[in-house]
Amino acid sequence: MSALQLIEATVIRTGRRRRWHRAWRGAWQGFLIAAVLWLVALGLYKLLPIPWQVLPLAGVTGLLTVLAGFLAGWWRRERAIDTARWLDHRQHLQERLGTALEIGREPGSGEWGALVLNDAARMVGEVDVRRLLPLTLPRASRWSLPILALAAGLGFAPEYRSQEFLQRQREKESIRETGRNLSELTKRSLERRQPTLEATRQAVKSVGELGEQLARNPVSRTEALRDLAKMTDRVEQEHRELGKNPALRAIERAARSADKNSPASSDALQKQIESMQKALGSKEAAADALEKLRRELDKARQAAANMLGKDSQANAAAQESLANALSSLARQSTDLGSALPSLEEALAALKAGDIDQVLKNLEVAEKNLERLLEMAQALDKLQQQAGKLGKDLAEQLEKGQAEAAIASLQKMVNQLKAGDLSPERMKALMDEVAKAIDPAGPYGKVPDHLKEALRQMQAGQNAPAAQALADAAKELESLLDQLADAQDLKATLDALKRAQICVGTCQSWGACQGLSKPGFKPGGKPGRGVGTWADEDGWLDTPPTTGLWDNSGIERPDMESRGITDRGEGEIPEGMMPTKVKGQFQPGSQMPSITLKGVSIKGQSRVAIQEALQAAQSEAESALSHDKVPRAYAGSVKDYFDDLK
Amino acid sequence: MSTQEQITHFRTIFSALRDEVGKIIVGHESIVDNTLVAILAGGHVLLEGVPGLGKTLLVRTLGEVLDLSFSRIQFTPDLMPADILGTNLVMETPDGRRLFEFQKGPIFAHLILADEINRATPKTQSAMLEAMQEHSVTAGGALRRLTEPFFVLATQNPIDQEGTYPLPEAQLDRFFFKLLVGYPTAAELTEVINRTTETAKTELRRVVSREQLLEMQLLVREVPVASHVKDYAVRLVQATHPKTETGTAMVSQFLRFGSSPRGAQALILAGKVRALAQGRFNVSFDDLEAIALPALRHRLILNFEAEAEGVTTDHIIAQVLKDVPRDAVAVGA
Repeated sequence: MSALQLIEATVIRTGRRRRWHRAWRGAWQGFLIAAVLWLVALGLYKLLPIPWQVLPLAGVTGLLTVLAGFLAGWWRRERAIDTARWLDHRQHLQERLGTALEIGREPGSGEWGALVLNDAARMVGEVDVRRLLPLTLPRASRWSLPILALAAGLGFAPEYRSQEFLQRQREKESIRETGRNLSELTKRSLERRQPTLEATRQAVKSVGELGEQLARNPVSRTEALRDLAKMTDRVEQEHRELGKNPALRAIERAARSADKNSPASSDALQKQIESMQKALGSKEAAADALEKLRRELDKARQAAANMLGKDSQANAAAQESLANALSSLARQSTDLGSALPSLEEALAALKAGDIDQVLKNLEVAEKNLERLLEMAQALDKLQQQAGKLGKDLAEQLEKGQAEAAIASLQKMVNQLKAGDLSPERMKALMDEVAKAIDPAGPYGKVPDHLKEALRQMQAGQNAPAAQALADAAKELESLLDQLADAQDLKATLDALKRAQICVGTCQSWGACQGLSKPGFKPGGKPGRGVGTWADEDGWLDTPPTTGLWDNSGIERPDMESRGITDRGEGEIPEGMMPTKVKGQFQPGSQMPSITLKGVSIKGQSRVAIQEALQAAQSEAESALSHDKVPRAYAGSVKDYFDDLK
Repeated sequence: MSTQEQITHFRTIFSALRDEVGKIIVGHESIVDNTLVAILAGGHVLLEGVPGLGKTLLVRTLGEVLDLSFSRIQFTPDLMPADILGTNLVMETPDGRRLFEFQKGPIFAHLILADEINRATPKTQSAMLEAMQEHSVTAGGALRRLTEPFFVLATQNPIDQEGTYPLPEAQLDRFFFKLLVGYPTAAELTEVINRTTETAKTELRRVVSREQLLEMQLLVREVPVASHVKDYAVRLVQATHPKTETGTAMVSQFLRFGSSPRGAQALILAGKVRALAQGRFNVSFDDLEAIALPALRHRLILNFEAEAEGVTTDHIIAQVLKDVPRDAVAVGA
């Protein structure tokens, strides 16, 4: 190997080693930067309210920094002459290698070139690259580990977050959740049933969009409340418009009073009653009689149980008494039309002296009797419902039983279309239709159709009459659809109010559920007071509740004070005559204050006064329009907020 | 003789010269070394120091150990250029004809000792310019070449002394090195006393002939210099240029003029001599740094601010050496 080759080999080996060494150091420097970055990010996260995503971002950036450091070191390849000059510098070779590579490679360097190369080759033999560039931990590693340890320690420290920030976070989360629920509710509502009226559909859709907007981009609480109040106003307006239809009021009342499981028409109800009577037997067993029978049977069973473990002499009298009772019970049940064969079997077992068998038979009889009792009670209920259900079209319309009325009209249409009506039946039909014209007054065009049907029937035109009646049925169906729209609007309105409460009180959607109805505790059970308002708000007409909040003016005899005790008129010792004091409002005197439980907003304000005033006025107007302020104070509240400037 | 043998011979002679001079001159090794370096590089030397430090003795000693013709010119205020260069005299031939004949001055020698050069007037000092640069003399309308090798070894007293005239910048620049002769140490002074107050007399031998010296000068010029080493010399010189991009902050603040290209030439040539003297075949950064002060100090012209603050050219060169990196590639790695 020539001197030049020896020098070049050493220089190339050194260059390769330097590349690895740079990559190694670069990686450690990147690691140090990553550690510092992580520490800074963690420190900032612990101190400042920055999003948590900063931490993984810092981690990923740190890893990339390590990689970048390694690659930066590895990427740079240097020329052999540069490596030679570096070796000269590090090994104090007095520029021998650099000069040798430069001069020795030149053609015709002559004797001087050979001298320089040999001199450099002699020096390069002493170069130990591994010793010169050891892959040991660089200085950066000494700093990285303490910084990482510091970061790990910092990880256990709790984050500092100001109360204002936490409040804002809660508000934002509450608004987001409220928006999500609002959107979900309206979406489900639209999936279940598309509103018939376009305005209703648009209103419900707008509520859904508002919910999505709040969920996607939660604004400030004031803005969210303002948006919700505006939307509530809009939906309420829509709801009021629907509520102006008197027909809907009647239908709504009827629908609310009806049992959910009750059949819609009188025919169906009658069929149900008949099937139940058939099951109970030929004679209708009264629920009271069955109840009495059950109590006696229970006594007989106890008597039989008492007989267990006693001697035969003592049991003889009891057996006779029990046999009489069982005979009497068997006779009564037969009389009621509900024979109980188990009683006969019990009698036979008693005669055989098998008390255990008697008890078993009596238990079977008791169970049968209980089943009969339940059926009798259900029959009573159905009969009561049948009493409420209108018997003919007029009554059905009067009571707002639209579905029953539609069924009656459909029946008439079918009869007219069949064309085999007797004159008596035709007259009965005409009478029923004529009778229903007046009650049909509030139902839009229904009376017109009924009149037309009557006219056609009188003219003997059955087909047009049937058509008119069908039109009346359609009109009623349309009203039912509108009622369903009103129900949807009411549900949407409830959801909006609930959303307002959630946002206002900064609570989750589930937590503010019980606050929707006044008089109910958060658990949902009605509290004490003069009745509850549990079911008094309908889908169309929400009765004003403000009057109910103040019960002080209501005279209730059952609540009259009775002295020192409420256990009747007790004897009061002489000289201890109670003084009865009854509070009442003094007209013209100072108005008493009433503490209203409502939205309590705490925190520090950081908005401009004009903005705060406008927000307060807006909220006050919303509260006044929603009847949240007692009427007695509405004027004062309005004046107060109007005067704010 | 092969190059290797020439180099060995060079080192032997250099070492012998040092030893011979050392017999007379006590201490001042760096002064002796640098003087030898300048002579082998073919340059002139200006020795500066207060009287009595052995400047003249050093040059005289060199004149004795070098087998060269030697002239000594004592510069005085009344010294005229013709006293140095020579003059045309009217001579009468045997046949009675009269004609002008050039009478050579003391400049016509190989080794000139210009003693206390700054005591002559600038006019007389300037008489040396052509001789020092062109190695020739123009007198009486005729150009006369000086025989090679030609060296001027001048001594001067510090310029703030009485009766001195500062050398013109042009002449200063023609000196290869400017060496500052300082006071001897206690040991050196003791040795000086021993040698000069006793009867023993030191005999000097001539170490190198004129031809050998010329060969050595040629050998010096063959020493290879790597491009990055040359680049360093260039950067050093450029760094002394005030108010330029390459000039350092201190240079711009305290210098009126920086080094001429002769400074770079001096650095490289002196570096080559030093490398050979140390047994190397190439010039290193260390060589350049070692001779930067004598090669550059007299080429930098201080401004008023520097003189007012007592900043010397040595301070500035030291700072330049610190500011200019040797090799960006090597150091940066």
